[in-house]
Amino acid sequence: MDERPVAITGLGAVTAAGIGVEALWQALLARRRCTRVIDAFDASKFPCRLGAQIDDFSARKFVPRTYRKAVKVMARDIEIAVAAADLAFRDAGLVTRGIDPEGPEIASERLGCNIGAGLICTDLDELGVALTTAVDEEGIFSLRRWGQSGMANLTPLWLLKYLPNMLACHVTIIHGAMGPSNTITCGDASAHLATGEAARLVARGGADAVIAGGAESKLNPMGLMRQALLRRVCSGWTGEPGQACRPFDARHCGTAVAEGSGLLVLESLDRARRRGARVYAELAGFGSACDPGGIDVETANVGSLDLAVRKALDDAGVEPGEVDLIVTHGTAVPDEDVCEATAWRAALGEASASVPAAAVTGSIGSMFAGAGGVELAVAAMALHTQTIPPTVNHEAPADGCGLSFLAEPTAAELNVAVSAAFSVGGQCGACVLRRVTP
Amino acid sequence: MSGRRVVITGMGTVNPLGHDVESTWEAILAGRGGFDRIRNFDAATFPSTFAAEVKDFRLEDHVPDAERHRHAGRHCRFALGAAVQAWKQSGLGEWTGLDRTRAGIYLGSGEGSLDFDNFTNTIVDSWRDGKVDTAHWAELAFQRMGLYREVKQESNMVVAHLAAEFGVRGPAFNVLTACAASTQAIGEATLQVRRGDADVMLTGGAHSMIHPYGVTGFNRLTALSVRNDEIATASRPFDLTRDGFVLGEGASILVIENRQHAEARGAKVLAEIIGYGSSADAFRITDQDPAGEGAAMSMRSALSDAGLGSEQIDYVSAHGTATKQNDQVETRAMKSVFGDRAAKVPVSSVKSMLGHLIAAAGATELITCILAMRDHVLPPTINYKHPDPDCDLDYIPNARREACPRTCMSNSFGFGGQNNTLIIVAGEDL
Repeated sequence: MDERPVAITGLGAVTAAGIGVEALWQALLARRRCTRVIDAFDASKFPCRLGAQIDDFSARKFVPRTYRKAVKVMARDIEIAVAAADLAFRDAGLVTRGIDPEGPEIASERLGCNIGAGLICTDLDELGVALTTAVDEEGIFSLRRWGQSGMANLTPLWLLKYLPNMLACHVTIIHGAMGPSNTITCGDASAHLATGEAARLVARGGADAVIAGGAESKLNPMGLMRQALLRRVCSGWTGEPGQACRPFDARHCGTAVAEGSGLLVLESLDRARRRGARVYAELAGFGSACDPGGIDVETANVGSLDLAVRKALDDAGVEPGEVDLIVTHGTAVPDEDVCEATAWRAALGEASASVPAAAVTGSIGSMFAGAGGVELAVAAMALHTQTIPPTVNHEAPADGCGLSFLAEPTAAELNVAVSAAFSVGGQCGACVLRRVTP
Repeated sequence: MSGRRVVITGMGTVNPLGHDVESTWEAILAGRGGFDRIRNFDAATFPSTFAAEVKDFRLEDHVPDAERHRHAGRHCRFALGAAVQAWKQSGLGEWTGLDRTRAGIYLGSGEGSLDFDNFTNTIVDSWRDGKVDTAHWAELAFQRMGLYREVKQESNMVVAHLAAEFGVRGPAFNVLTACAASTQAIGEATLQVRRGDADVMLTGGAHSMIHPYGVTGFNRLTALSVRNDEIATASRPFDLTRDGFVLGEGASILVIENRQHAEARGAKVLAEIIGYGSSADAFRITDQDPAGEGAAMSMRSALSDAGLGSEQIDYVSAHGTATKQNDQVETRAMKSVFGDRAAKVPVSSVKSMLGHLIAAAGATELITCILAMRDHVLPPTINYKHPDPDCDLDYIPNARREACPRTCMSNSFGFGGQNNTLIIVAGEDL
């Protein structure tokens, strides 16, 4: 089928490493470790109280003045998505309605959106204010009272804070993106799947540009509780908080819950060239797969990550031996790490042991539906700057986790990077990025 | 449209009117609604005390090994029931040639419900000085909440259960674009097959929001009908007296397939998917664009994908929620797309009988289009008594109509301005 090459022309990231992709990249190169004792809420009685939170962030700065009122119906996931979208469009130099209401340079119907999202966690205080008006004389919650009068104390738009498509909806409203609009909800694989689908949309001509990636925050009581129930958190770590999240390391002991968003502007390469845009990389291949074993959530499962990677390589017309960099998902959950490393070996064969690899989790923790967007942004930066970022907290590989992580930033000739992620539940997405020389 | 042609070879549904396709269709043609007082929880004092619930569904009646799915949530059980029907009809179960790495899943499944009692009580019991004491909350939460009760809220677990049931390893996605999700899923699954990324896709949607927080959320948005004394006739799409939708639940799943793949194995083709459109209103999170621009764009883009003019559409399955705004905007959008012919295109809302299945609505409605083409009959919009001057199309009021539709359009619009449209043609015409 006739398909157009797809360029990555803009990157937006909001992570524990800071606001913007440059802050993220510099933090990675400087080997900064952002996991620490959570102070966004009192986490002292959780099995794990470490996490990587975004500080000093206000969504208002990223929202046009006329739309600021809407910020109060944005859950944290939505806020960081809206910010990353603004950053990505500005980074791309792509003038949307949100950047300049007078003179957007792209037609609304040609601008699409596909943002991966998670199960947005309820703000307990906001709900609690209403719930506690519906207790009986003994202080017990009464559903009858809730229906009668209690629920009236809940803000009318409450539900709209928690619909996962609201990340995309606020972004499309701000930027005037009326083209095809999708929201993928497949756990940690969401952003790779969303970005891959967005690339397909540009490739087949369904849109000229798409804002794609993912965002999620589990840096809240519900999010941390759920990950703890899944036994995915680094509860056994007693050392320095910054060293707790240890992807593929012999002392890996679970992940650090985090929050983050990573959004990419994808554009047809022709259009990008015509307007003289900077092209970070080509999104050259995409693959998706799933694993029938995904329902057993107590056993590590990386979907069919090897199959997804092979499909993405095929799609890009790249041989496993041509891969120069692997950006892993690297949750640092011990059995997930082993499964993931095994899958990379299955996909890339002998090459996997020597191809440089990177994981961002040691520095900025697990961002769930947001992770893939950030991982793809890092892969794009690596190709663009011809630099392999270091992986912190990986000192000696765990048994079965023999991938080649680097301790220091390293200049290298990088032409092809592969990034993939898997979800609890067994869905998997992989993207191949190729260097574009001007 | 370019790429491989995509056909539907299996369909299944579990919804308020029935636990299979034929009983559902029989109820719809008879103009029978599926509304009743809510049984899922005590809604006696809620603004809306009724809904369209799936009644007496037992997974073990549908799936050989129900035990394997013991951790599946309510909507996931519906999805399994529907998927097994679709898989059986497609004949893929008995066929040994399936490459499971080329069989995938693209669903529009909703989230599962919160663990209501435990979740609510942990908040109430840890309330101190106007907020939750999260340290105390954590102690209570870890005593009361359970792993699987939390995991089943994840919308991607429905995809996981289907993958397990059918052993498929191909492309796998869940889209959650509110009320438009399953229409979008079917459209996106179609694109997977067209491009050659899969030979076969299980697609459709599943959702249940008939739980305290679901009804609370919609009641606070004033989106639901509050005709607690006129339950049977509460859902009144396009009628002047409409006052909101009736919340439904259920699942509908299709097997779609590369046409050559289906023909090579001798499968019966139920319909072909020839057009898909998606757009965003980019207007407001609370309201649809009053001009219906986004909705019209979605229909136009599906027509252009199908290579059809609007005059070639024989029947439109409306989103038709029976909210004041939707029905008016949808009517306006149809007029914009169909022009002078708009009043002559039969359009109906089966939500008048099924209620609004939210993420599962579009897939269920598409099945009624397939059946309309098969049986040469159009489903009615029931409870239509008072014409609304702003809604002046041919809504097939109150009774089914004999007709011979060959090309049907199905629309779904979601909160936040998500618009999706599918166009299908009859299988026997291929």
